[in-house]
Amino acid sequence: MDAWGTLDIGAATFVRDELGSSIRRTKKLTIEKLPDKVLLHIFSYLSHKEICRMARVCKRWRIIAYDTRLWKNVSLRPEISGLHVGSLESLLALISVRFGPSLRYIELPIELITHTVLHELANKCPNLTHMLLDFSTAMQLHDFSELQAFPTKLKYLCICLSEVIFMEGFMRKIYNFINGLEILHLIGTYEKVEEEEEEVYEVVNVHKLKSATPNLRVINLYGINFVDDSHIDAFSSNCIQLECLAVNYCSKVVGSTMKTLLQRSRRLKCLLMNGTSLQSEYLLQVEWEKCSLQELDVTATDLSTECLVDMLSRLPGLRFLSAGQINGFNDSVLKAWMESGNPRNLVALDLDSSDNLSEEAIYKFLCKHGHQLWGLGLSGMTHITDSLWQTVLPILNNAKILILGTQERLGVNILVDQLMDSIAKNCPNVERLELRWDPDNLRFSDKSQKAIDTIRVKCLKLKCLCLSDGRYYEVTKANFERADRMTVVRTLTNCRVSNYYLLSNYKDLIFN
Amino acid sequence: MPNIKLQSSDGETFEVDVEIAKCSVTIKTMLEDLGMDDEEEEVVPLPNVNSAILRKVIHWATYHKDDPPPPEDDENKEKRTDDISSWDADFLKVDQGTLFELILAANYLDIKGLLDVTCKTVANMIKGKAPEEIRKTFNIKNDFTASEEEQVRKENEWCEEK
Repeated sequence: MDAWGTLDIGAATFVRDELGSSIRRTKKLTIEKLPDKVLLHIFSYLSHKEICRMARVCKRWRIIAYDTRLWKNVSLRPEISGLHVGSLESLLALISVRFGPSLRYIELPIELITHTVLHELANKCPNLTHMLLDFSTAMQLHDFSELQAFPTKLKYLCICLSEVIFMEGFMRKIYNFINGLEILHLIGTYEKVEEEEEEVYEVVNVHKLKSATPNLRVINLYGINFVDDSHIDAFSSNCIQLECLAVNYCSKVVGSTMKTLLQRSRRLKCLLMNGTSLQSEYLLQVEWEKCSLQELDVTATDLSTECLVDMLSRLPGLRFLSAGQINGFNDSVLKAWMESGNPRNLVALDLDSSDNLSEEAIYKFLCKHGHQLWGLGLSGMTHITDSLWQTVLPILNNAKILILGTQERLGVNILVDQLMDSIAKNCPNVERLELRWDPDNLRFSDKSQKAIDTIRVKCLKLKCLCLSDGRYYEVTKANFERADRMTVVRTLTNCRVSNYYLLSNYKDLIFN
Repeated sequence: MPNIKLQSSDGETFEVDVEIAKCSVTIKTMLEDLGMDDEEEEVVPLPNVNSAILRKVIHWATYHKDDPPPPEDDENKEKRTDDISSWDADFLKVDQGTLFELILAANYLDIKGLLDVTCKTVANMIKGKAPEEIRKTFNIKNDFTASEEEQVRKENEWCEEK
């Protein structure tokens, strides 16, 4: 066959193959002979920028590049690797000729959120079900007094809020159109640098919003400085379908309406409250034993040991627990939880930076429940080193996600080759792996290549391997790249592994 | 495991394990429609695939016979082209003519895995190239008039970097 590749098989020549067994007629095929359907398939692997460039190659490519099927998901936020549309006129033209009925998801930046654009989307894009509106950089809101129409089939709406712009002028115009909404994201400005004693504005009226959205299944309020327990209460009073509520980094949330939330929302499976100000006294009142909660994140809260013991021993069906960075999470919590038998359904556990947990307690817990875990995070603890991992890895044979190590400098070194070897041997299903140790603490040798080879060959599902930037990262990256697995190895600065992939609503919870 | 015979457009027959041949949805459907009997020695004619390409396709299918079924296309997921396995990358180090014939065969035989990986390979050849370079690479004639060219450039200038 190789001889074939080098032969110049010009048009309509007779060629004898290397075995000489048959003679056949062949002519050189060019890309122009491929059917439209196949070209479309090829174009579907290109970014929208590339597709636009391809439109300029020839007439046929132009037609294919404009095929609405290539324009189902469109981001127009240039800051977040989207396309940059310079003027409203060009966007209006695009909506009707290029997006049309195929468009299902669009991201719009503040400049392009105007009543004319929204009217056009409502009229020309009947299949638009997912929309993201980014107001985060807004200095002032456009005038929406003329807004008469809005996409009516939306299931997913993500609104990136600005800290200072009151949204009500816009929101009250869309309430009538969003009754079908199932997934709502309101994204705050948590990630921006916080200034002291800044005034907090309630830029969205949650009490009105909840009345317009009775069908919400998933609500994600992320890093919003004004959101408190009354807002949770408002949603729970009207959204009977609610199965997933996330209020991560909403620091005003203390949990005072948690009891009623879990009484009302019988379907609530997933409750994510990372970085909130939860108070133990409120959680002690919750009727955990009666709810159907399966997934819980209380990372970085101030819950007491008493509260954690009480909650975990009354929560029967927990599958997912993230409870890192809590001083109160100590050995007695883990012991009481084990004795209650409630971790029986557990598949994901993250106990990041739990300095009050001993190695022994963790070891005992994993001996009993390690085999059932798909995800385990034991990072940020200086006393949890490769020696514990080496003893528990043989039990963790179902692990898909593992988060190991701390970035703090250690007095001992981590024998990374043996560790990798052990992961490769014991965890054939591992998909995401993070080793947080400082590069100076990783001891590796000439045999490293062999250990990396082993994990590369044995753990074929490995999609993501995060390491601290340093020598060992370079060695590992080069090894995977030689095998054409270019995107697997990443640095911790670009990527973090989390058990969140294992949440049942993970796909709904993604936002850009 | 029973074998079946596949006949290429130029008359060569290939004996292939039925399970391997069935990675082609086209062949699988044919076998089901015909209700092929294990006893009988039937030959499946493939008039759109020549023997050189059929040999390559069988080679590919044999190597990939134990692969898990390719995931359904997730429309919301960005499609990537950097995940071609090294075996496939080596397998596809062929001249353009052969690559396009493989694509046509994969399309006709309806072998999703092979179609995906060959189309990805072509997409990688396209990426990062200017229109003129594309024409050169693939020997495509520019059939725009000067004014049409200006027009299509304008239509797409919004799409270029800021």
